[in-house]
Amino acid sequence: MTGLVRDYCVFLRRCLALAFVGDWRYYLWVGTLTVFCLLGLNAYAKQFVHGLVVTGMTDQVSWGVYIANFTFFVGVAAAAVMLVIPVYIYKNEELHELVIFGELLAVAAILMCLAFVTVDLGRPDRFWHLIPGIGKFNFPGSMLSWDVIVLNGYLLLNLYLCTYLLFCRYRKQMPSKWLYLPIVFVGILWAVSIHTVTAFLYVGLGGRPFWNSSIVGPRFLASAFTAGPALIILAMQVIRRVTATAPAGKAAWQREGATAPWGVIRRAATLADLDLLARHLPELASVSAQVRQESLAGAMVLEVAAGDALLRQGEKDTDAFFVLQGQVVVKREEGGLTRITRGLGPGEVFGEISALAGTPRTATAIAEEPTRVLRLPAESLRKLMRNHQMSRIIRSRMTERLMITDRGLLTLRSIVQVSMLINVFLLLNEVFKEFYTGNLHVAASEYLYFGLHGHRALVPWIWTATGCNLVAMVLLVLPLSRSLRLLNVACVLAIVGIWIEKGMGLVVPGFIPTPLGEIVEYSPTLNETLVCFGIWAFGLLCYTILLRMAVPILQGKISKANEPGRKPQDSDAQLRALLKS
Amino acid sequence: MNANTKTAAVLIALTSLFLALATAFNRDLWGRPAPLPSIPLVDPAFTNPAPVRVSAAELKRTGGDTSELECNLCHELNKPANLKLDDKGNVILPKEHADLVMHHGRNDRNNSCFNCHNPQNREELLTKDGHKLKIEESTRLCASCHGPTYRDWELGVHGRISGYWNRALGPFTRLDCVSCHHPHSPIFAPLPPAPGPHPLHPVVVHSVTQQASP
Amino acid sequence: MNDSPSSTGRSDAWSDASPEQGMNRRSFLRATAALASGLAAIAALSPLRELESFSSVEEFLQKHYKEMTPEEMAKVLERIEREVERQYGLRPHVRDYKPMNGVEYVYCLNLTRCIGCRKCVHACVAENNQSRNPEIQYIRVLKMPNGTFDTEKADHNYAPELVPGKGFYYMPVQCHQCKNPPCVKVCPVKATWQEADGITVIDYNWCIGCRYCEAACPYWARRFNFTKPSIPKDKINPDMSYLGNRPRQQGVMEKCHFCIQRTRVGRYPACVEVCPTGSRKFGNILDPNSEVSDILQNKRVFILKEEVGTLPRFFYYFDI
Repeated sequence: MTGLVRDYCVFLRRCLALAFVGDWRYYLWVGTLTVFCLLGLNAYAKQFVHGLVVTGMTDQVSWGVYIANFTFFVGVAAAAVMLVIPVYIYKNEELHELVIFGELLAVAAILMCLAFVTVDLGRPDRFWHLIPGIGKFNFPGSMLSWDVIVLNGYLLLNLYLCTYLLFCRYRKQMPSKWLYLPIVFVGILWAVSIHTVTAFLYVGLGGRPFWNSSIVGPRFLASAFTAGPALIILAMQVIRRVTATAPAGKAAWQREGATAPWGVIRRAATLADLDLLARHLPELASVSAQVRQESLAGAMVLEVAAGDALLRQGEKDTDAFFVLQGQVVVKREEGGLTRITRGLGPGEVFGEISALAGTPRTATAIAEEPTRVLRLPAESLRKLMRNHQMSRIIRSRMTERLMITDRGLLTLRSIVQVSMLINVFLLLNEVFKEFYTGNLHVAASEYLYFGLHGHRALVPWIWTATGCNLVAMVLLVLPLSRSLRLLNVACVLAIVGIWIEKGMGLVVPGFIPTPLGEIVEYSPTLNETLVCFGIWAFGLLCYTILLRMAVPILQGKISKANEPGRKPQDSDAQLRALLKS
Repeated sequence: MNANTKTAAVLIALTSLFLALATAFNRDLWGRPAPLPSIPLVDPAFTNPAPVRVSAAELKRTGGDTSELECNLCHELNKPANLKLDDKGNVILPKEHADLVMHHGRNDRNNSCFNCHNPQNREELLTKDGHKLKIEESTRLCASCHGPTYRDWELGVHGRISGYWNRALGPFTRLDCVSCHHPHSPIFAPLPPAPGPHPLHPVVVHSVTQQASP
Repeated sequence: MNDSPSSTGRSDAWSDASPEQGMNRRSFLRATAALASGLAAIAALSPLRELESFSSVEEFLQKHYKEMTPEEMAKVLERIEREVERQYGLRPHVRDYKPMNGVEYVYCLNLTRCIGCRKCVHACVAENNQSRNPEIQYIRVLKMPNGTFDTEKADHNYAPELVPGKGFYYMPVQCHQCKNPPCVKVCPVKATWQEADGITVIDYNWCIGCRYCEAACPYWARRFNFTKPSIPKDKINPDMSYLGNRPRQQGVMEKCHFCIQRTRVGRYPACVEVCPTGSRKFGNILDPNSEVSDILQNKRVFILKEEVGTLPRFFYYFDI
């Protein structure tokens, strides 16, 4: 137990150290975000002192761009679940890494939501009034109290899941199903609930006919599941690009080796080789001697020089490899860039996906230094994997790659596509209901789309949003958007359109006209805008730092195996060396 | 420039940017809330609960100037009236009373002086069924014609009541009819309204709305 | 992530430095940048210098109204009296008036008689210590054209020479103290609730200022203190109640409370007292002899926005 706690503390400390390590692009990005955070902090300090009069809000329009952003980002957080469902329910392997990235995005988005709500409060110093048990919590009466519970719960849920899964990978251990799968399924339900509860905040107000409509909940979900995965598509490409190695200088391992990949020396494998392997792969010891003997059929030991390729991306052979001695690096090319997916040492396996699934090689493996490997035919590997422990360890290693595949992105595209179609359909429903009857309740919609009594501030916004959404929908439906460039355009349009529609296009018209028929328009002030920028920057900063910690762990570069000796504190030099590997 | 130089350059640039930002924050260069436009304090007349008229009873109670109510300074008692009517049957006011505005009843049906005043003693009021009333008891005279209104007045539904809604805890005051209604032209006279609401933020004036409308 | 200093093979002044020197320089620069950002963060908070005593420790820890014992309430009242004295220079009486037994307040408003003079608006402001700038007014008088109840056609800003205008009627709106109040339902911290005599009250020291109640009210009756309220010192009404007209703070909600400091000692609210035409009627609906009982039985009363289901205690009627 204490070992576990100690491991966890070391894990956290190393993660934290990672946040400060990076190249000039990282510092520039983090620095710029910090600048905006500080601008926002300063603007908020002014608001704290002078009150919400520094915003554009009034008694007539008493919620503005803070709550608009809150609503939008709750949707983004909920959309993380859209990745979880395919992976855990439909067993879509292509999206496996994206789950962690999606959950980290959910964490960052929820933090932004909590920040937006806090800056909107008139008395944030009285936050303790909201704590059940200590304050006075109006549950289950007030939908806002529900929102407090579900948002914080969702945050804890996702934090737990990410931490647990990353910690398991750090310790190179298979996560225990019972410690995370139930939480995952709870998380799916919870994600739907956070956005439905947020919708109910609006729907439950009988005095605001613009909001008091049953279509608001479904529209929220549809737009969230459009904008969220669209954001993830964009974010994943950025991650893919940033974690790629540009073909800059060539280290020894980057030089392509001789075309004949089968190394300098090869010979048949013996039991002695398996014993050597067992020293680094303890699970092998539990395989019976007879099975080990059988698996030697067709097995070879190869010795290669630094720079030699052992297998190449796209090739169709099906052998599996175990490293006996030395270091192998696995790299993958995608989108014109080469990326290191992981580094391998003695006892580790590669090539097993092709062996087990028969698919073409997903990456190229190159020896970093003079290396000895054991090459097994697929059948031998399967024999070994009949042993429960071997099967477990190899399957866990299978998921230890960091591949953001184009196919994964295209799966996300179909999610965005369907959601956007539903979103537009629901919009048409709403428009019909509002304008066909011609009753008095249409005033707010009329204000939004056409202006009311000469007040037209939101009209250009909503038509821009509608245009963006429609163009995005058309693009997504066309097979043309399978090309990443057009897909990105569609995603940006969808995000912008939905942000406007769900933010300003939902919150502000609910207040115009007021229940007493007054029209007072709203536009955010400089201070309000700076606070928003600050919180956006804060969210991006959180996401960046979380990714900065997660990616090396996922890649296997930072793990229990390479903890620095006595002082469990990597020096800057050590960290950089590890990351470079 | 190799990566090392770039990193150093970025870090140096960031440091200077942060220091500049710190200075800018300290100087408070932007984002101060705009000073609120001054709103003049409301005229105290608009919070004054005094009724729009002072009734005879009130005058007598407070010892005010009752010279207007002393009809017998000019009029002799028991001298017959000499009302002049015009061709429509409306009373022509004598020049001594030319300042009166007679506007009682729809189509001025109640403009005859002696519908209310006792012709024998003009300081007295006379109901149609012969009750004599002092001028400060005018409410009963109004009641003799305006039954439903008087019923409501007695219940406190017509006309203002002030004081204690809980009659057990304190007194309440009902106003005489003439505290609000001039007996000769009883329609409640229009008043100047108090100023309207002021918005929190300066409002852009559109051509269609935001104009004072009569 | 690939800035190993010596692997590139290029040579310039920077890469001539040994790896350790490169590391040290970078660590130094990084630490400097971090320090500068810390300084900027502290400077970013410099507006807080202007914060006057925001809230004392006792106020911060103060319990909800319903949880306080009478002794705790007495201490709180005393503290409020001190605070008001410090701020406005006069010592008020702040009391916690409890509801009377057997009382349910109802308000009736005679739309035939209201002339739209807005005296009620300002009498309320004077009685209840509302902020003059920014302006907070609990009552909003709507000038409506004859023939419609559609508030979209209302004029809030009428300013003719004389009222009433021909062809219009005037409808003042304030908190209706609804029997089924949406504001009470949505408050996340139960800072607003309905008392036994029907008044919906706010504990100003408990409200967190989320403004959900303001969004929920179908009658636009609630007001928020967007900044520190300002009341001229000579206009303070020193006769105060905890749940009513004591001066509020920045960042909390307020609304009409039927002049709790008057009504709970048996007096009429200020708006009733000042109305020159007697359009406003107030009383105890449980008393069959009250004027409001007579009105509800005998006049043609209606309520605003009945379809929202709020069951307001504010009835409008026409006389003629």
